[in-house]
Amino acid sequence: MITPAAVFWQKNPALAWREIDDETIIISPNDSVMHELNDTGRFLWKNIDGTKSAAELARLLVENYEVTPDIALFDAQALLEEMSSRKLVVTVPATRGISP
Amino acid sequence: MNAPLGNLGRSPRQQFELSIGCVPLRLQMSDAQLFGAASARYAAFTDAAAQPITIALSDGAVLEGAPAEFSYEFEGAALRAFSSGIRFDGVRNQYALDSLLRVLLSWKLLGRRGFLLHAATIVRNGKAYIFTGRSGAGKSTVASLSPEGSVLTDEISLLRREDGVWRAYGTPFWGEFRAAGSNTSAPVAGIFRLLQAAENRVIALRTAAILRVLLPNVLFFSAEAEANRRLLEILSEAATEIPCYELAFRKNATFWEVLPA
Repeated sequence: MITPAAVFWQKNPALAWREIDDETIIISPNDSVMHELNDTGRFLWKNIDGTKSAAELARLLVENYEVTPDIALFDAQALLEEMSSRKLVVTVPATRGISP
Repeated sequence: MNAPLGNLGRSPRQQFELSIGCVPLRLQMSDAQLFGAASARYAAFTDAAAQPITIALSDGAVLEGAPAEFSYEFEGAALRAFSSGIRFDGVRNQYALDSLLRVLLSWKLLGRRGFLLHAATIVRNGKAYIFTGRSGAGKSTVASLSPEGSVLTDEISLLRREDGVWRAYGTPFWGEFRAAGSNTSAPVAGIFRLLQAAENRVIALRTAAILRVLLPNVLFFSAEAEANRRLLEILSEAATEIPCYELAFRKNATFWEVLPA
């Protein structure tokens, strides 16, 4: 499980991706594998821009979905871990302090 | 156009020009046997167009050299693309030449809003019906059930968007049907993902589902991110503009009865 750390999340710059029919289609060039995201994954994907931590992404989930902060953080971390294992997202060192 | 070039102390280099999907190519090689085989194989695609992409073949070892814009290695043969031209090294037989030509075309088509697809293309009433699927899905079966002369290819189809219209071109890359391919094109009627079944049935697919059909069947060999972004852009355009269906079909020609006109 990923623990909150001094990192921001960003989309893997090696990927090709597009929004089609309200679906997010992501291609890994190295293996030509096509990835699809669920609704929450799509929301996170849109907001993963290299300037937000897991906690900040979780806070956006709370603002946009009927979900408690605890569950939002758990979901955000689980999804980031899943996307990281598929090499869809990578971390970059935080360039400013991360709010808890 | 076939013509000998200078004699460099070994067999004279010969060249011929061809065009696949309106991509003009000039092949230059010293291997007389390979030249004969290639000339015969690509005879239907011979074409002397202006400003062809020159490909220099060598049967020797793959040479180290300056970084290429694009490179690909396949069973001891290598393609390297430079701004000055293309090199195919280590090409000792028609099979290697054929493979590298497919790789080169898949890359060159990016700049021409096109792509190669594992698919048979049949022309019917002036329109191209594209049947795609993995090996064994029925591409060659569909080709064998179609009238002589109507099969543009039974294995690798070439699609390009020209003046707002998607066209399918024949290619010299054939499969079990052993047709030589046809160097003609037709506007695309639709793309059909083949499934063999007990009855004929078509189901229209949505855009994202079409991409799921296309992606595993597209021939593409670059791992470079920008090239893949461009490919996805082209495929998304195709998925939006070309009707695509799942076609469950019996192994006879009655499947045409359920296809949209």
